[in-house]
Amino acid sequence: MKATIVAGLLAMVTAAGAAQTVNRPSSPGRLWDGKTPDFRGIWRARGTAFTNVEGHPAERGIAPSKSIVVDPPDGKIPYRPEALAQREMNYRARATLDPSLKCFQAGVPRATYLPTPLQILQSPGNFAIVYQENHAFRVFQPEGRPHFDNADWWMGDTRYRWEGDTLVADVAALTDQVWLDAAGNFHSTDVHVVERYRMTSLDTLEYEARIEDPAVYLRPWTLRVVLDRVKQPGARILEDECLEDANGVRRHVSPNDPRSLLKSDYSRWKTPSQK
Amino acid sequence: MKVILLASATLCAIACALSGSVAAQSALRRLPDGHPDLQGLWMKSAGGFQGLFIGSLDGTNFAAGGRGGRGDGRGAGRGPAVAQPAYEYTPEAEAERKDRLRRGYEDPEARCHLPGVPRALDQPGGLYPVQIIQDEKSVALLHEAMHDVRIIPTDNSPHPKNYWAWDGDSRGRWEGDTLVVDVSNFNGRTWLDMAANFVDENEHVVERFTLLDADTILYEATVTDPTVFVKPVQMRFTLKRVPAEQQILEYSCLEGERSLQHYTEEDGGKKRREK
Repeated sequence: MKATIVAGLLAMVTAAGAAQTVNRPSSPGRLWDGKTPDFRGIWRARGTAFTNVEGHPAERGIAPSKSIVVDPPDGKIPYRPEALAQREMNYRARATLDPSLKCFQAGVPRATYLPTPLQILQSPGNFAIVYQENHAFRVFQPEGRPHFDNADWWMGDTRYRWEGDTLVADVAALTDQVWLDAAGNFHSTDVHVVERYRMTSLDTLEYEARIEDPAVYLRPWTLRVVLDRVKQPGARILEDECLEDANGVRRHVSPNDPRSLLKSDYSRWKTPSQK
Repeated sequence: MKVILLASATLCAIACALSGSVAAQSALRRLPDGHPDLQGLWMKSAGGFQGLFIGSLDGTNFAAGGRGGRGDGRGAGRGPAVAQPAYEYTPEAEAERKDRLRRGYEDPEARCHLPGVPRALDQPGGLYPVQIIQDEKSVALLHEAMHDVRIIPTDNSPHPKNYWAWDGDSRGRWEGDTLVVDVSNFNGRTWLDMAANFVDENEHVVERFTLLDADTILYEATVTDPTVFVKPVQMRFTLKRVPAEQQILEYSCLEGERSLQHYTEEDGGKKRREK
């Protein structure tokens, strides 16, 4: 009897918790100022859009993906004809031309939907994203000051504001040396990205990027991905280096495997204990 | 009764010490958890452990007065708050360092590796700022130089196993108003500066960040490495707050720097010229 009551109570508590979640799906927690939405945590994009934002069939151990382009509705990037030809050339040569193979920082929005996680750092008045890939980071600057002129940066220059519980970031000064994915989708230095970050539950972050670049696209277009909170206890952003080794091959060096250190790095010294 | 007296005496000792420190530090900005607010954009004052290394490929440091002047810290722009470290090597390590000095181009940072600790902060003074973002769980250092990132948990968690990184693994705790960071798990390849002062995988660093006033952080580091140094290396300098109208910029380290080695006799330069 006692056991039943306890079980019943537990069920009620659980149900109440669930109901609460359903009723307020998009309401994030708050920082200690009581008002700034709390996006802190380690996040990882769902899906495999990093292969091709327009969608792709399964290939070489990578699950298939639908297009993450939500506007236009056909899921295709509205390229100008000559730009589409460039994308097709990029696609055919993607095994050697993809800038990520050269260990460049990934750019915006590509860094968001890489297979590696990112961490949002936040305090009232501060917002930054650290991407595990290649230890890239972006410090979001509050809106009010103009973007940098004549800069072309891997991760761009970011100004942000809050629209209710949505963080809206305006990104300019991006280089044209990055791609949007591994399939050759690209932009020019005139690109202007407006990002929207919104929590759709306590453990899901919706990311939207509206990409405008009249030199390349017929009209602005929008992609959208969902990021899931990485909840494993003790999960951390790990040190990730992507570097060229002595043979000219660029690869990631794992801090979990000392043998992965590049042979060209200084290694003559052996500690007395190793001798 | 005796016990109580003793206890109250101890209490007084602690309270009196605390009240003294509180009086001096009460003006500091604090987070709601009571710890000093280290946030903002900071720049290492000119000087540092090692003046900006201006040298030739045979290892001469012109900034330190030419041949023989390297590594002793008599670099340019020494500030009053700077403690020049004394590196006391074991005989074996001293020989190793001499060898490395002849191969200054093997400095890992010249190959775009992360600088390690304390070199992450000990970059040339007045050049690259560091953005600090802090909450009740962590203090994050976002370094402009090498776009190096350290997210330091302040939760007394232990160092991990099976993890070896250029920047090691940092765990922080608050001792009064000082952030004390214990850094371990180094991969053993780090140089401490451009003058081949080095450590191996037994490196262990204790850093202390103390907010002296609203615009000054005192940074202290103690580097121990029993297989390299006969006694710990002590380092100290200050970080100054960067005016609010300035912002951190993007840094990128790309493959070009590697070619340095091709211009020296030891590493193929001669062969190249003969071709």
